[in-house]
Amino acid sequence: MITAGIDAGAATTKALLFRDREIVGYRIGITAFDFLTAARNMFDELLASCDIRKEEVLKIYATGYGRNSISFADKSISEITAHTKGVSFLFPEVQGIIDVGGQDSKVIVVEDGRVADFLMNDKCAAGTGKFLEYTAKALEVPINDLGGLALASGHPAGITSMCTVFAETEVISLRARGITKEDIAAGLIASIATRVGVMAKRMGLKEHVAFVGGVAKNAGMKAALEKELGTILYVPFEPQITGALGAAIAAQGNR
Amino acid sequence: MSSSLQSLDIFKNSYEFRIAQLKEEREHGIKVIGTLCLYVPDEIIFAAGADRIVLCGGKADTIPVAEQSLPRNICPLIKSSFGAVVDASCGGNLACAHVPLVDVVVAEATCDGKKKMYEILPDYLPTYVLDLPQKPGSPEALNYFLSELRKFGKFMEGLTGTVVSNDALKREIRSANETKRLLHRFFGMRRRDPPPIRGSDVLRVMQKQFFLSPDQFRQGVRELCDEMEHVTPEARTGPRIMISGCPMAAGNTKVPDIIEQKGGVIVVEESCTGTRSFWDFVDEDKDPWTALAERYLEIPCACMTPNDRRIDRIVDLAKQYDVDGVVYYTLQFCHAYNIERLRVQRALKKEKIPLLAIESDYGDSDTEQIGIRVDAFLEMIA
Repeated sequence: MITAGIDAGAATTKALLFRDREIVGYRIGITAFDFLTAARNMFDELLASCDIRKEEVLKIYATGYGRNSISFADKSISEITAHTKGVSFLFPEVQGIIDVGGQDSKVIVVEDGRVADFLMNDKCAAGTGKFLEYTAKALEVPINDLGGLALASGHPAGITSMCTVFAETEVISLRARGITKEDIAAGLIASIATRVGVMAKRMGLKEHVAFVGGVAKNAGMKAALEKELGTILYVPFEPQITGALGAAIAAQGNR
Repeated sequence: MSSSLQSLDIFKNSYEFRIAQLKEEREHGIKVIGTLCLYVPDEIIFAAGADRIVLCGGKADTIPVAEQSLPRNICPLIKSSFGAVVDASCGGNLACAHVPLVDVVVAEATCDGKKKMYEILPDYLPTYVLDLPQKPGSPEALNYFLSELRKFGKFMEGLTGTVVSNDALKREIRSANETKRLLHRFFGMRRRDPPPIRGSDVLRVMQKQFFLSPDQFRQGVRELCDEMEHVTPEARTGPRIMISGCPMAAGNTKVPDIIEQKGGVIVVEESCTGTRSFWDFVDEDKDPWTALAERYLEIPCACMTPNDRRIDRIVDLAKQYDVDGVVYYTLQFCHAYNIERLRVQRALKKEKIPLLAIESDYGDSDTEQIGIRVDAFLEMIA
């Protein structure tokens, strides 16, 4: 039985095809303005690349911020449930999930593959991918280089602002004081790690913790969070697809 | 559940009637007291021959004008209430017609935000502040509150020229107890599965409790209860939910609306617009002043310390109403309820009852974010 999961995220849209117990293929692209168009394009491209016809896909489940806009989906489920199903499929021993996405960050407590509790950050960019995106811009480095720069830092700069706009100003003033890019990058990453770390500790996460979402691709971020939590984090081969994967698994029904 | 309960119309259409009633009373020299808290005993106000009306604001419209005077980062209920008083046009909203009918505000020393707002309020409306002990468990606290209630009684006598006699107090205590008994009947019916009424409908009724006259309120609730006896509720759409936390003043139904839209079934509210107002009765056999002081100090508000009574009450209600989960609701910047969440959460955890914390104001900007959390919570406890 082939099912599909669509994760209509605020920044990126992910589509994934699942057959019985394995991932057939997936696609990740920019959401832009319209959730539905992005999802449809991603899904069509995915079908073509996997050489699967639409009719073969028996059920489509949507998740993500725009999940209710995906009119061609049979059902929508929350990201919390979706990530938990997706991550538990990849790492059955997982007891906690940290998801840092473009728009929000979440911490999920997992018990036997099910959501036991969860916490999402407040309605603010602090502790999210957006924070890194804006501050990387102030630092004039591509966001993908931020992690590598941070790992090369000897003395991370102290970034005290939680507010994305104020942090941007802080970065500019640190640059003016001659602090190196490496140290500023490390400071930015440490500031998110601290914030997300507090959420994780509040939820009692200790070990067997997975790190997912776009920000999990950032090696510097992973290292900073690991230091913060004192445990090695599980990062999937593609940390952005666990939501879509979970939705596709949910679409398989109760097995 | 049924949204077609006809008796709900009694409450929906009551605003104009009540305004006309208050205007007429004022023409006959009856004083109208504005209140903003359960700690101010209705019984004393009515025994002094005055009427009362709740001034707690639940609408966002009056907040911008309040923010011209008050800090932005305080609780929306305080800002909304204050804004309705200072701006006669009510932010272009005609729902504040009752405010100019108030002769005196009887405020109370509860949370910091309200206390300090009440220091500014006299510039707009005469204001009397009832003091409260903060550690309610001791005999000294009771004596102090008793003296405060007697002082308040004297104030009311001075205002109305009517002596607050023990007989009048006892009469009003019996009347208020009757309301409480009726509300126990009303809420008791929600223990059924599925419940015969939607939580958001109950909230809209409870928001009128201190707005309408006791007679009119009781009549409405009585008719509603009678009607509920005969309805066949539709099948339950999702888990049974208790809401616990800050009051939801008239105009504010955001979180219950989201919960129901997502399929959650709200069966009880532990709040000032829920059980807190009516759960405990006033002893009719005791000296009425002492009985009032005892009962009112039992109100489990987060401004009291320690507030074990509230934590026990929540766990008890969760069991009585067989809830699958608790949505802990705090108004933004309400430190007392926000901090108390941890103790509530720990107590519920022991009973294996899940909790979702939501902090929100009167704006719509976080509707989606709340929706995601509620979706996830309902999936988690389904």
